[in-house]
Amino acid sequence: MILLSIGLILLAIFGAPLFTVIAASAMLGYHHEGIDLMAIAIEVLGIASMPMLSAIPLFTFAGYLLSESNAPQRLVRLTDALLGWMPGGLAMVALAACAFFTAFTGASGVTIIALGAILYPALKQDGYPDNFSLGLVTTSGSLGLLFAPSLPLILYAVIAEVSIDNLFRAGILPGLLMLVLLSGYSVWVARNSSKELKPFSWRKLASALNAAKWELPLPIVVLGGIYSGYFAVSEAAAVTALYVLLVEVAVLREIKLTELPKVMRESMLLVGGILIILGMSLASTNYMIDAGIPQQLLAYITEYVSSQGSFLSLLFVFLLLLGAILDIFSAIVLVVPLILPIAMLYGVNEYHLGIVFLAAMQLGYLTPPVGLNLFIASFRFERPIMHVYAATFPFLIILAVSVLIIMYLPALSLLLVPD
Amino acid sequence: MSETTGLADRLERWGSAAENAALVILLGALMLLAVGQIVMRVFFSFGFIWADELVKLLVLWIALVASIAASRSNRHLRIDVLSNFVAAKYARFPRLIVDAFAASMCGVLAWQSWRYVQLTIEYEDTVLVDLPAWIAYGILPLSFGLMCYRFLLTSGGELMRIFQPEADAEQEE
Repeated sequence: MILLSIGLILLAIFGAPLFTVIAASAMLGYHHEGIDLMAIAIEVLGIASMPMLSAIPLFTFAGYLLSESNAPQRLVRLTDALLGWMPGGLAMVALAACAFFTAFTGASGVTIIALGAILYPALKQDGYPDNFSLGLVTTSGSLGLLFAPSLPLILYAVIAEVSIDNLFRAGILPGLLMLVLLSGYSVWVARNSSKELKPFSWRKLASALNAAKWELPLPIVVLGGIYSGYFAVSEAAAVTALYVLLVEVAVLREIKLTELPKVMRESMLLVGGILIILGMSLASTNYMIDAGIPQQLLAYITEYVSSQGSFLSLLFVFLLLLGAILDIFSAIVLVVPLILPIAMLYGVNEYHLGIVFLAAMQLGYLTPPVGLNLFIASFRFERPIMHVYAATFPFLIILAVSVLIIMYLPALSLLLVPD
Repeated sequence: MSETTGLADRLERWGSAAENAALVILLGALMLLAVGQIVMRVFFSFGFIWADELVKLLVLWIALVASIAASRSNRHLRIDVLSNFVAAKYARFPRLIVDAFAASMCGVLAWQSWRYVQLTIEYEDTVLVDLPAWIAYGILPLSFGLMCYRFLLTSGGELMRIFQPEADAEQEE
């Protein structure tokens, strides 16, 4: 049994599709317990009984559509008109625009491709050091995943069976903290810039607003609808997808009807990858809970860890390691069911845990050796990967500090969550 | 040789087209149904009892069809150390192994879900009020079977490249 488990771990490290590794471990467990392997089919069908799940394909599709249209340019233009006049303005434009875009596109790496390509040359042209600009756009690719309606938030709520509206509220202040710290760093880097500040212009703002008039209702409908409780998340996702489809294809005509199947396929590749892992992990998690693995884990941990504080430190180190090897979606699906009961026993609130988990996994996008954003940036901007590691490092430290603050200040996550 | 390649190529093209068509239909149906539900709820305070279940089944189908597509486009989530740190030449053997493993797992999954579907036929299970359940659940063995075939192909491809390095250039795409 142990040898087989080691074999499975090796297969995973050498790049076997994760869902097959999880399936194998579940079936191994079933076999061990004498359960008919057919049960795995029933567990996978569990995908069809989870609430809110339809939000994942719908939001992902809307996000890919937006990134294929000229919406990224319009978003940068609008943010520039709003924030560009401040010192460090363009860097803040980059941070704000990326955070907003990532929230809508689900932290799948499309932000770097869609927005980074516009922002990176603009930042350099504006006199920011090359390393800073590269690090900033790489970091920004996953910034904003704490804001509604990002996919990781939805997935955590589904897995942990917590109220998604409350989780959305919990993410607001921690997400803003990350933005503020990174903006502060940007202003500090730009302090010696000899470049004259651009004055704020109402005219520029009006024309940017006008250019973005078709996309402007989106955040209002989605966020307003969700936070007011008028829409369920899955309904907001459906409205968003249909609205974006109509606007970009029929009204603005930036995406041709013939290109649509390609965009649909592209977006669904990610969705398929996430949901099949979810399906398999329903089987493996159920087996692990039946076999009492969380209790064993808990017994082991309580032997060494007595306080909530030291539990959180241990969790932080664990999540950093986890984020360095696993993508955020697989990590949520596989690990949350195991650590949630343990965290609750240490008195960690479930919403707080979710935000800490996601914030720490956000670091994973930037952690060498396998952080996804590092590779996307290296590929997209044609820089050696070591160069990207170095450029991103200061940002990684700032984000790590913000994760620690989020971790040890539960109030930040819980202030906006109603009891 | 050229005839079999021609057939394989055609199979690839048709397969891709079928996946795309299925994804377009499923995603389109999901969007319309979900928005339709809102319209019915808000304006007519009315809903079909089967609509919720259909939405969920559509998500299941999207998940599985997209998984087939992901195995074609090599986009399943993996811990990808090999392609980033190991020269392509040395990554072949491990790839061969992990893809063969993936194929065998999908094979087992296809077989087990096929058994389950047979059971639902036997017990005359239904979904969506009175539709036979095997119509909805049949996607399970079908998709795992196709994924098994996909992973066998990629695994076999790696094997060929180990023995015929010169075939690399044409196989690369």
